[in-house]
Amino acid sequence: MSLLKVKEITSGYGDMEVLHNISIHVGEREIVSIIGPNGAGKSTLMKTIFGLLKPTRGKINFKEREIAGLAPDRIVRQGMAYVPQVENVFPSLTVQENLEMGAFIRTDDFSSRMEEVYELFPLLKMRKRQRVGKMSGGERQMVAMGRALMLDPELLLLDEPSAALAPKLAQMIFERIRAINETGIAILIVEQNAKESLKLADRGYVLASGEKRFEDTGENLLTNEEVGRLYLGG
Amino acid sequence: MDILAGIPQLIVYGIISGSILALGGVGLSLTYSILGFANFAHGDLMALGAYIALGLLALFGGLGVLNNPIGPLSFGLGLVLAFLIALVLTAIAAILIDKMIYKPLRRSGPVIVMISSIGVAIALRNILLFFWGPQPWYYIEKIQISMKVPWLLGVRIKPDELFIIATAITLVILLHLFLTRTRMGKAMRATADNMELARVTGINTERVILWTWGIGALLAAAGGILAGIENKFITPELGWQMLLSIFAAVILGGIGSPYGAIVGGMVIGLSEEISTAFISTGYKPAVAFAIMIIMLLVKPTGLFGEKS
Amino acid sequence: MEHFIGIINYIVFFAITAGTYGVLSLGLNIQWGYTGLINFGIAGFYAVGAYTSALLSGPLPSAWDLRTFGGFELPFIVGLLGAAVVSGLLALLIGTLTLRLKADYLAIATIGIAETIRLILKNESWLTNSVWGLKGIPSPLYNPIQHGIGAFLKGHPNLPLWLHDLIFKGYDWFYLLLILAVLALLYFIIERIIRSPWGRVLKAVREDEVATEMSGKSTFKFKMQSLVLGAMIMGIGGSLYAHYARFVSPLSFRPLYGTFIIWVMLILGGSGNNKGAILGGFIVWGLWAGTDFLTVYLPFSATQSAALRVVAIGALLILVLLFRPQGLLSEEKRVSTILKE
Repeated sequence: MSLLKVKEITSGYGDMEVLHNISIHVGEREIVSIIGPNGAGKSTLMKTIFGLLKPTRGKINFKEREIAGLAPDRIVRQGMAYVPQVENVFPSLTVQENLEMGAFIRTDDFSSRMEEVYELFPLLKMRKRQRVGKMSGGERQMVAMGRALMLDPELLLLDEPSAALAPKLAQMIFERIRAINETGIAILIVEQNAKESLKLADRGYVLASGEKRFEDTGENLLTNEEVGRLYLGG
Repeated sequence: MDILAGIPQLIVYGIISGSILALGGVGLSLTYSILGFANFAHGDLMALGAYIALGLLALFGGLGVLNNPIGPLSFGLGLVLAFLIALVLTAIAAILIDKMIYKPLRRSGPVIVMISSIGVAIALRNILLFFWGPQPWYYIEKIQISMKVPWLLGVRIKPDELFIIATAITLVILLHLFLTRTRMGKAMRATADNMELARVTGINTERVILWTWGIGALLAAAGGILAGIENKFITPELGWQMLLSIFAAVILGGIGSPYGAIVGGMVIGLSEEISTAFISTGYKPAVAFAIMIIMLLVKPTGLFGEKS
Repeated sequence: MEHFIGIINYIVFFAITAGTYGVLSLGLNIQWGYTGLINFGIAGFYAVGAYTSALLSGPLPSAWDLRTFGGFELPFIVGLLGAAVVSGLLALLIGTLTLRLKADYLAIATIGIAETIRLILKNESWLTNSVWGLKGIPSPLYNPIQHGIGAFLKGHPNLPLWLHDLIFKGYDWFYLLLILAVLALLYFIIERIIRSPWGRVLKAVREDEVATEMSGKSTFKFKMQSLVLGAMIMGIGGSLYAHYARFVSPLSFRPLYGTFIIWVMLILGGSGNNKGAILGGFIVWGLWAGTDFLTVYLPFSATQSAALRVVAIGALLILVLLFRPQGLLSEEKRVSTILKE
């Protein structure tokens, strides 16, 4: 069953149309990867799904509910969490406080959830009271993802999680993403590092110039010659 | 040598003045970082608080018992009560001003909101002028004698002034507890860091904005009333006169850092007072301004600022 | 009939003041309207211009003055140009320190500058005579004109009273013409400049500074030129004020009358529109003067009425921003932006 159905979305910034008639879907517990060159509209798509941008045409269905055009704070209450590419943490707050903010809309006791997140990111547990602004890129990314997970979301949107990270750290992040998925959370991931993200993914989409070029399982896309030549850097 | 002998006393004055500037600065820093604009009406919120307290004090005048001085202080329970109520009323006024003027203008951008705040500043000041006139009004009639503190280099300080410092410290501690122990407090800090991320997290930023005005105005009113106690009288120009120094304190500390504003306030207060040993008192505000310009040239984000 | 002449004389006086404000608005229009610079320190440039002109063309210090400097008794035109130059230099200094800062920091800094200038005017009595101000500032061509008026009136002793009163005030008519001439000259010069390539870059800087910087233009240079040009015009306004009032003191340049009211004038008249700037000057000053008459009918004291009128001006600014932020005469469309070239 599809958790997220994006149908014929057209979106952009002001007068500039970036996405033309895009349709994708994400199933429960799936990892879906979106790859493509710079400026293809990957981030734009993610922001549109999460309500940071309003689409001019099309529908977005999440858990059988129409969410296109809703504000982010409404969408987040439906069970979708978003980790932006940059400025994705609260620098003057501690690790613990960042996670608490992630749970802001929860009205229940989330301490067990916090323990689970710390289990996923043991490094963060040691640095609970450290101000996030002073942490390295990799550590911040963990905080950013941990923050989103506090919500216990069904779908997690990740915008270029490995960007600006050294290869070893990027590997660690990808491995953590797999671990998160194994707890039952569907993940939609936009990535520059196409190869790694396709390795991770169940299914993938290739976007270029705001249009969908390819759609297949992760494996098939990896082995697809044309995709390899055009988008995977050979 | 004679100049240096007077410095400890100037330091005391600097701490008193710095406490008041710190209270004004914290409120301004909060609204500046969360609402995203420099509120030129902040000084006049301080004046508004001072005059509301004055009005309430006059109201309590009938209840004579409230005017009996508390211990060594020159004022009674009446002023304390007026102080607390004025804080709340000023907060409500600030929230109304935001709802009616700043909120509708937010879509036009922070520059327009900032320009409108000058209009609000002038209007507020003249409303006070309309009702109370330009002449000074006194909270306290009696003159208080300052005590000598022999073990602290023989500086002199009045009980009222100790009250001012104690009140400022108390409010700062309460603010700290609020910002670090309560959900809304943390949400405010988060929103000050990054408003869009706060929205992404699901924080109700509209509510945060209301709380920001409430707390900012509350602290501003406190600063205004304490200034009235320190100077013994208030005029409608009270806030505007302090505004430049308060802006300097906020920029020195770094916009968005309440703790920075406190440090900034103390630094500016101390600098202004100590400077009078070397240059004419007529140039006190210029000292704050000079410090601010230097900070802007060297490190515009301030001592504790984070935002790039 | 005399009553009518009284009104006419008042209107001339009103127009002179409104015209002076119009000059200041034109200056602000270059800085804010065309370049997007927030100058909350207009009073500073205004005051510097007025004092410079006064010191250049005014009399030597009298025995009672605290002042020891100045009074070079140079011709009016030297005072006028000197005012422009010194204001421009002040702007150069300020710009060097603050133009690289964000818009709101510039706003705060300019308030600080104006305040510092006011403090200097108050404290440096050797230069400015402190709060006692500079008096006896000569009005241009005052003596010849008054002499001519005197001679004329003497030669025509049987004029009707109203005509006599009208001609007696003849100097003011001359000054009004002077102000209108300056306004017209400035208007045409600025209109030419704005339509030049330089003017187009200014607009590009205002609309999208980053893009303009990336297309190779030094936005700092253009902002500086705009700041200086606007300041020079404000200095001229100060000189025109000083030579009419014949007296300046720090009180003449308080933030309300020296800065804030000009912002209301420009925003109401129309930012980015020179006609709007001048129109705004006349309308707002008209409202200010007009409400002065109306408050006679209200049961308030003089200070109360004044305060009420100021609240009205503040409210006017807010209402314009809420409901018609482009002002009465909106900005004229220009043909192309620097980015398209």
